[in-house]
This record gives sequence, C-alpha cells and structure tokens, in this order.
Amino acid sequence: MKSIANLSPDLSSDYLSPEMSRRRFLGVSGMLVLGACLPVRGALAQAKAAAAFEPNLFLAIDGDGTVRVTAHRSEMGQGIRTALAQVVADELDADWSRVEVIQAEGDEKYGNQNTDGSVSILLNYDRLRATGASARLMLRQAAASRWDVDVESVSAVNHEVIHAATGRRLDYGELAADAAQLPVPEDAPRKNEAEHRYIGKPVVHVDAGDIARGQGVFGADYRLPNMATAVVVRCPWLGGGVKAIANQPKGEPGLISIETLPPAPSAGPVFAPLGGVAVVAEDTWTAIRIARGLQIEWTDSPNRSFDSEALCRSLREAVMQPGTPVPGSGKGDVDAAFAEGGTEVSAVYETAFLAHAPMEPPVAVADVSESGCVVHAPLQDPQSARGLIAGYLGMDPGSVAVTPTLLGGAFGRKSKPDFALEAVELSKRLKRPVRVQWLREDDIRHDFYHAAAAQHHRAVLDDDGKPKAWLQRSAFPSITTVFAAQASAPAPFELEQGFSNLPYAVENQRMESAGLRPGVRIGWLRSVCNVFHGFSANVFADEMAAAVGRDPIEHRLAMIPASGKLQQPGMPAPEGHELDFGRLREVIKRVRKLAEWDRPRPEGVGLGFAVHQSFRSYVATVLEASMANGRPRVSNAYVALDCGTYVNPDTCVAQMEGAVAFGLSLALYGDIGMKDGAVVQSNFHDYPILRIAEAPTTQVELVPAQGRLPAGVGEPGVPPVAPALVNALHAATGTRHRSLPIRA
Amino acid sequence: MVYELNVNGNGQSVDVSPDTPLLWVLRDHIGLTGTKYGCGGGYCGACTVHVDGSAVRSCQLPVADLEGKSISTIESLEARHPELVGTWVADNVAQCGYCQAGQLMSAAALLDANPAPTDQDIDAAMTGNICRCGTYARIRAAIHDAASQRNAGGASE
Ligand code: FES
Ligand code: FES
Repeated sequence: MKSIANLSPDLSSDYLSPEMSRRRFLGVSGMLVLGACLPVRGALAQAKAAAAFEPNLFLAIDGDGTVRVTAHRSEMGQGIRTALAQVVADELDADWSRVEVIQAEGDEKYGNQNTDGSVSILLNYDRLRATGASARLMLRQAAASRWDVDVESVSAVNHEVIHAATGRRLDYGELAADAAQLPVPEDAPRKNEAEHRYIGKPVVHVDAGDIARGQGVFGADYRLPNMATAVVVRCPWLGGGVKAIANQPKGEPGLISIETLPPAPSAGPVFAPLGGVAVVAEDTWTAIRIARGLQIEWTDSPNRSFDSEALCRSLREAVMQPGTPVPGSGKGDVDAAFAEGGTEVSAVYETAFLAHAPMEPPVAVADVSESGCVVHAPLQDPQSARGLIAGYLGMDPGSVAVTPTLLGGAFGRKSKPDFALEAVELSKRLKRPVRVQWLREDDIRHDFYHAAAAQHHRAVLDDDGKPKAWLQRSAFPSITTVFAAQASAPAPFELEQGFSNLPYAVENQRMESAGLRPGVRIGWLRSVCNVFHGFSANVFADEMAAAVGRDPIEHRLAMIPASGKLQQPGMPAPEGHELDFGRLREVIKRVRKLAEWDRPRPEGVGLGFAVHQSFRSYVATVLEASMANGRPRVSNAYVALDCGTYVNPDTCVAQMEGAVAFGLSLALYGDIGMKDGAVVQSNFHDYPILRIAEAPTTQVELVPAQGRLPAGVGEPGVPPVAPALVNALHAATGTRHRSLPIRA
Repeated sequence: MVYELNVNGNGQSVDVSPDTPLLWVLRDHIGLTGTKYGCGGGYCGACTVHVDGSAVRSCQLPVADLEGKSISTIESLEARHPELVGTWVADNVAQCGYCQAGQLMSAAALLDANPAPTDQDIDAAMTGNICRCGTYARIRAAIHDAASQRNAGGASE
C-alpha cells in the first residue's frame, strides 16, 4: 500500500537528495536498456538492435549516430519528453535533429517516475546533465585515443568530435563503439549557462508533428491483436455493488460477455477499481450501446446519503468554530489584538468539488497471460501502477510491464490507476487483451474529486491596512480520506499549500483546520490545496487593501518582508527552496509593469492582482475583467513566473497560458455536486470547460534563471487565477464574490 | 449491415449496426485513430471530421447516413492544408494534443470558407472545440499564421 508520505513530492527521498539520486544513476554502465524500453510510436514494435554506446539508462547512441534519450516521466502536455531530451542533448552537444525520445516502462531502476507535483525537472536536471556530459567526454576520449592526441586538444560540437589542429573530425556514431569500452567518468565537465544551446531555449515539442498529423498514440489509440473493448457501468454511489441485472442481454452481435466486478473494498488496496458491470464487446460502440441499456439494481452503502450541499454547509460551520491549531503555527496573542480593536475585516470563502476532466477520459489496455501482464495506458506513475498490478495479480513485478502512452491530459487523475486495474481484471478473466474505455459520463461521475473547501479569514488592521492580528481557518475533506478509513483531518502537506506558509509579516497569528469525511473519493488535482488556499488568501488580502483604500499591489508589497526567507511551521523546505521574500516581491513588481497596472482602464473594466508561491515557483498574475451580458469577461491576463532554472521557456509560457484557462474554468464553471450519493453532473453541458471565445490573451514574463535550482511549472500558474478574477471584478463593479464558481 | 464509405478518398466497406457513430467506425473498424472521443455528446469537438467539406461531430453521425458522402479525417489533412499543419507545429500549439485533431479539422473548414478570418471569426468557428489544456491563444495565432502563408502563396496553388 502506498503510504501517505509518498503522496507529497516534497517528502520523497529523491527530492530531499537530488545529489544522492544522481550518484545512484551515474556510472551504471552496460545496463541493458532496450529490452525494457520501446518507442512510444508503434510501441509494440520490436525492440531495436542493441545500441553501440549506452553510458547509462537514459542515453544510447547508435552506430549511425542516432541519439536515443529515454524519458522516464509521463507526457501529458507539459513537454517533459522534450525537456528531458533537451538537457541530455545539450550537455552531449548533439544535433537535435538526430535525437529520438524513447518512453520508459515503469521500473524502479529509473528512480522516481511519479509525474506529479511539478518535480520532473527538479529531480532530473542535474543527473541528466551529468549523463550528457559524461557521454560527451567519453566520445572525446575515444576520438583522442583513435588519433593518438591529448583529449584536451579535441572538442565535441554538434554531433562531431573535432581535432582543430589537424582538422580531423568524426561523427558521434563513428565513435560510439569505442566510447562504449571506456569507464564512465565521475565528474565530467559541464557547460556553463552561456554555452547552452538547448537548455533555456524554446524548442518545439518532440511529439508536435505526430499530434498535428493525428499520429500521436494516446491510451485510447493503443491496439493489440484480438483486443476486446469494455465499457463499465458503475454504481452511482461509492461502495455499492451489483444486486441484479434486470435485463441480461444475450445473443447481441459483437457482445463477448457481461462481467460483474465487485465493489472496491472500503480499506485498501489503494486505487482499487470501483466495481460494477462490464460490457465486453468486439468494438466500442457495441459495448456503449449495451451498457447504456442495462438496468442494474445496486446494493446500498453508507455513502448513498452523501450530499455535497450538506457537506459544504458543514465546512462553512466548521470554519466559524475553533479548529485544530496547525502544529507550531501560533504567534503572539490574536484574541488580545482583536480586543484592542481597529479596522476589522472578516470573510468566509467557499469553493466547490471539481472533476479533473482530462480531454482523454481514462482508458487502458491490458493483456494478462499465464506468464505475465502487459499494460499500455495513459498513466502518470507507471512504476507504482506496476507494483499495484503485480500485487493485484499476485505476480512478480518483473513479469508485469507497464508502458505509458501519451496522456491526453491528466491533471492528477491519471496518477490513480484504478482504470488500468479494471482492464487487468477483465483481461485475466477473458484470457485476451482488453481495453477499458471510460465514457465522459464515467469520468465526471466517478472521479477522485478535488475537495470542496471553506476558509475563514479575520484580521484587524493598522492604519496602513497591515494586519496586526490574523486568524485563518481552513476546512476540507482531506486527500488522506482515500487512504485511511478513519482519516478526516487535513494533513500537514495539504496545509503547507498556501495556508500555513503565507508570506506575510503578522505579529499575532493563529491557524486552525478541520476536516470532514466525504462520501466520494478525494484526489489531488493540478495545484491541489493551493487552489482554494491561494484563492481565499489572495481575495482576503485584496479585501484588507480595500478596507483602508490602498492600492492592492502597494498594500501587498507592504505586507511582505523586504528580504529573507520564510520560517514556516511544520516541515522546513529543503535548502534553496525556502519561500524567498525577495523573489516573491520581484514577480509582483514585474507583473505590475507588464500589466501597466497604473494605466487607467475604461469604465467598467477592472484589474485584479494575486500572487502565490507553490511547487517552489513564484507566480504573480493580473487579470483585466469586466461584466458582459451578465457574465464575467476576461480580456487580458498578465503573468510573471519565477521557476528558477528552466529548460524550455516556450513550455513555461504555454503552461502559464494553460493555467490561466484552467483557473478560469474552475472560477467560472467548476462545480461538481452530489445528491443521494450520486454525482449530479455528467458531461461538458453541465460541467463546462472554458471555450475559445472566453480565453484571454495571456502575456507571460519569465524571470531569468540566474543559476537557481529548477522548480515547478505545470501547477504553480493555477492558484493566482481565480482570486485575480474575483479581485478584478471587484475593481470593475464593486461586487465581491467570495465563493467559486462565481455565480454572477 | 454493410456500408460503403468514402474516407480520405478511399473506398471502405464496414459491417456494423446502422446506429454506429462515424467516430467509432473510423476508430474501431477502419483503424483511423486520429479522430478522438471526448464526450460522445456533441459538446467537445474532439471527434471533428469533414463530411462533404463541412466540419461535423463524428460522434453524432450514424453510419447509415453517410453512404455516398465524402469523409475526410485528420490523417489526410496535411495534403490539403500543409500550412495549417506546419504552423501548428511551428507555433507549438499542442499541449497534451488530444483535442488537436478536432481543432485542426475545425480550423481547416474555417479557412476553406474564410481565407482571412478575424479573431471573432475564429472564436465563432472554433467555439465547439474544447481544449482542456487551454491552448486557445495559440490556436488563434496558428490559424492567422496559416491564413497569411496560404494567402501569400495562394496564387501558385
Ligand atoms: S466526442 Fe464528439 S463532440 Fe465530443
Ligand atoms: S491540447 Fe490538451 S486538450 Fe487541447
């Protein structure tokens, strides 16, 4: 069972010691890479002939000079396959047009593969630079010995080793076999920033061409010979099982079988399938048509009475009562400061349950045989999925091969492999390959939902509008509720997401939290608890500024210490990743300039500002908004991002653009409700996603890398969006929206 | 039932029930998986193809209605709209990419009807295509880029 500690990337051992993981991987030579890795395109194709030169798991160079970089993280649109290859190819000084990316299976030998928490570059930057640099030195050594010259007299540039004195040159491919005979050097010299040719440069994603031609292979596109397709009808409420099927279909052309799957056990294994009735057919439409016609009677479960409105009411009530103090968080005397009086600001903020709704609904292909199990699916963590599948089948993990396809969006949904386990179970029963295809309705109704939440903020201000005392309370059903039958309280890793680590100087401060058990599965969604914590803290700060008539950005800068780093309660951040007040102030100042914050906007158009540090990155966002035909309209978005060292600036920009759209979707529409245990919404007509006419123009400014540690890019853009919108609408209209989605 | 279809200029004969949506005929019976399933309800546009030159939602079209019509999919788009595919790549439009076949097919139909669309024209023509990754601004830019490339080189085509 996956332990809670593994949930947060901040707690992973790889994160705590990137140096250690680097050493673990360098110098692993002669490892047979290719048996384990297949190219994503036509992934079933035969493994290629062994490479001439494989200095480690992540790099192989063929005799024809083809450089193959193994991507061990999953691609879901964040450009990671490209970025990992950029890093290796840069230090190798490879010709980009001769670089190929191979997708790795899930295997412990790669280290952390959990593509989650915006840590792929952070965890791998150093070790992949070392991989490229070692190989490059070895190629130089091979050429020097072939020519019988000093290694210092040869250079490796753009896929060739060159001896300048004599003009001799050899292609990397011609040297690969010789280089393979050399020991892997411990400390090969790396380039300095000025020498980088791919790192820090915009590079088009390696899958862009396939995607634009309809050739990218997503989970839904993977095919095996003799594959059947299953559509599963699941109980509307969590924990219910099949009592009876009133209309057992028989003799339908294309129908293979109707399989009853038991409901998920209430305690472990994690991510167990929900159970239900699987319609297995020769083709997808037959499965869908028959599944839609089934009349199933379900057994009861305690979750059948679950009602999201009642839960939200309880959350609202919970934040009006004293909660559990966040360990180590208290400061000064909040009650005394409140008793002293002054301008007081107090508000309750509420946010709804959300579904991930990746564009590709969950889907998985499994082929279980006596000798083993093969799975191809859009999985964020093929390694933990492999472990879970092996456990489920009682097989040795060595007999289970799990390869990620391209992920058609994920946002956290596809780190939970319940859908792959369904395919495994059905393939085992039917003794043939089975693809399980979730319908959009299944996706919306049977997700691991982003938690609904409530926060209460109360502060008393000095004449400048700075809080003399600040009481914060947060209540939400914790992610830990899916892992432990008794859990309900928010975990420290959830509170450290924009609640217990607010960057404001306050003398008297109290933080409390409360949790409730929900009747649905809770899961992490892009930016996790930063979504609601970043929302309430940023709107409340705006309310403080408004209460004393100050400019929101001036007021915010006044609340943030001029320099230094945050001493946060709970687990201190590793060195180099503490919240740095100077960096936070820098993104605020940059976005103020980018948005031309002081330029007057027309009547009815307002600017709203928010800033949030998460996943070790700093993002400040300004939105320009107005009301049009009774609905909020966002015309422009401005984003300043400091993510430390970055690999592909165009990807960083794209992730901020995407984060604005994701944030606006949840701010304007994101609302999942449950009644009688069942999710009310079902598809994009009642769970809308932002459409093109509503998408603003987004300008992004990237803070230069300055040699800082790499930080997250995929998630940190989301949290400031919703509060910036609420603050902009307040500036535009004077109306303050305190709950999401905005019901204007 | 056996149906004779014309897909990307090729004759295809498929044996399926008459209510089978074109989407699943393409994906499961003809092996063209570039056209995607996103919602099955006509809401998202991931399944967009051209039927007799118009952009339509293939999840909503039963195969029985399609005999004698000319169907084209993402797999044949580049031959007709090389600029569009080219700018889509050069502008690095796609994130996850799952919606992009549908986006491209809607964009191509727009350019066929309107060689120099404004932002408003684009928003109107593309409103049926959801992108959960939020690539909308790049979609607009790539359509403009493709339109100007096409118009610059159009005379010779
Ligand atoms: S799959 Fe056809 S519109 Fe969504
Ligand atoms: S690129 Fe992912 S849904 Fe559009």
